[in-house]
Amino acid sequence: MPFNASRRLKVAAAAGLAFLHLPIVLIFLYAFTTEERSFAFPPPGLTAQWFAVAWARSDIWPPLILSLQVACVSTGVALILGTLISAAMAGAKFWGRESLSLLVVLPIALPGVVTGIALRSAIPMLHLDFSWITIVLGHATFCIVIVYNNAVARLRRLSGAILEASADLGANAFQTFRHVLLPNLGTALLAGGMLAFALSFDEVIVTTFTAGTGAASKTLPIWMLDELIRPRQRPVTNVVAIVVFATTFLPILAAYYLTRDTSDSPIASK
Amino acid sequence: MPQTPAVTFCAVTRHFGPVKAVDGVDLTVAEGAFFAMLGPSGSGKTTCLRLISGFERPDHGAIHIFGQDVSAVPPHLRNVNTVFQDYALFPHLSVRDNVAYGLMVKGMGKAHRLAKAEAMLDLVKLADYGARKPAQLSGGQRQRVALARALVNEPKVLLLDEPLGALDLKLREAMQDELKALQRRLGLTFIFVTHDQGEALSMADSLAVFDKGKIAQIGTPAQIYTQPATRFVADFVGSSNLLPPALTLALGGPAQWASLRPEALRLADTGPISGVVQSQRYLGTGTRINLTLNGTDLAAFVPAGSPVPAEGSQVTLTFAPEALHLLGDAP
Repeated sequence: MPFNASRRLKVAAAAGLAFLHLPIVLIFLYAFTTEERSFAFPPPGLTAQWFAVAWARSDIWPPLILSLQVACVSTGVALILGTLISAAMAGAKFWGRESLSLLVVLPIALPGVVTGIALRSAIPMLHLDFSWITIVLGHATFCIVIVYNNAVARLRRLSGAILEASADLGANAFQTFRHVLLPNLGTALLAGGMLAFALSFDEVIVTTFTAGTGAASKTLPIWMLDELIRPRQRPVTNVVAIVVFATTFLPILAAYYLTRDTSDSPIASK
Repeated sequence: MPQTPAVTFCAVTRHFGPVKAVDGVDLTVAEGAFFAMLGPSGSGKTTCLRLISGFERPDHGAIHIFGQDVSAVPPHLRNVNTVFQDYALFPHLSVRDNVAYGLMVKGMGKAHRLAKAEAMLDLVKLADYGARKPAQLSGGQRQRVALARALVNEPKVLLLDEPLGALDLKLREAMQDELKALQRRLGLTFIFVTHDQGEALSMADSLAVFDKGKIAQIGTPAQIYTQPATRFVADFVGSSNLLPPALTLALGGPAQWASLRPEALRLADTGPISGVVQSQRYLGTGTRINLTLNGTDLAAFVPAGSPVPAEGSQVTLTFAPEALHLLGDAP
């Protein structure tokens, strides 16, 4: 049914979109402002100097590297475990399968503070010290769900008959995995992995609960929170925000295009 | 020396929980035969096919393929190939790679296997389509790719699971002729599953009619059509008139269930059957008229060219005594 929106509805929709996206434009704008103590609008002048300042600041690099490290390892763990769970769930029919599926995806529905507090109290019971590894543990809880959702949706769409066809044509189980299953699962895993990476890279809440103390456990988003109370060089935070934006937005965009032609877009499952 | 049959079933049973999908089936398919398994959905014909391909294992009984007991042989080691119902082509591979897949997993070199794949695509009249993806093909073309992908492995037996089910009528008829010609040319054993009795009768050398996990009758198409063994076969194959024992007795036969083909009934001045034409249906090659006799619906076929009695008119029908075919069911 063709739908002709009224003028009021169009204005409301435009206002809604502006509310969602104008603050992002402001981040970009304030990265170029000449005023370093407060975010005054309009900016008194424009400069690109904050990029050079940010590059030279030695306190930015360790958090950036730590965040990349945590995101990479969390994504790796999630890819392995998420794929294994999805393969098990797609291939099997057993009592309680639906409940188990819910348990697998629950961590992403759980509020971050709950996951955070739960991990904060559970990790000492394992006699683990809080460090970057415990951050990875925290991030893996929701990264697995992203990979699992993508893989399981693809497996569900994949006709089981092509696995049988492969065996019928003489392929053993490993050949079927290598030549049929993996190529068909590939883009779903890539998309899930990139989305998981993006989620981990800018995660704050679970990170606050699972990080150790000291600089060695400070991820980039935590560093940015700390920076807000600094009185000087505020635009540097905006420069870093642009970096975070690029690091998370580009993978999400890529994930969207990778699965665009299919019904299991990771954006829909986010 | 008697020829080794291509496939034999010996008292084969396969149950899924309480469902007796295949229930004591004995079957022999001769080498080089075009054998059809015909039956309604849930009759066990597809399970029988999957027992041959190895995706199902029998609970009891033995299956032999060219004399070899295959009970312990997994699907990928059986020298049979399947054309799947919805073709099950690999969506990520080109048509050429789809066809070459079976040769690839057996370790044949790339140049050799692609050459064989192209030759096979040529055989199914898809010579210029090797570089395309399955999604870019029509239903009929996908069907041919599935056929080429199975045949390139030179199977001893080719299994076809409702191979023409997804095609429209005209294409289906063309493919029926083509499949038949291909089978003659290659001299292979084809076993195909269908619920379409017209397809089974027109293509097969011999067929088995399945009913509730058992074989109701095995025979040539002519035997099945003219001499159905049971009410089920008479009813499922073709459009026979089924006569209850009382009516058979009234028409001069013994008190048994019997079948009478609509084509066997002729309009006449005198005859054992008379009634009022309830309805008629034009079929092109003739007209089918329906009437009721002692509470049983009867259909008669009036060939094109003969005058067709109008609806509501009184008609008398006769038939040759040998056309009354007695069925094996208990009265």
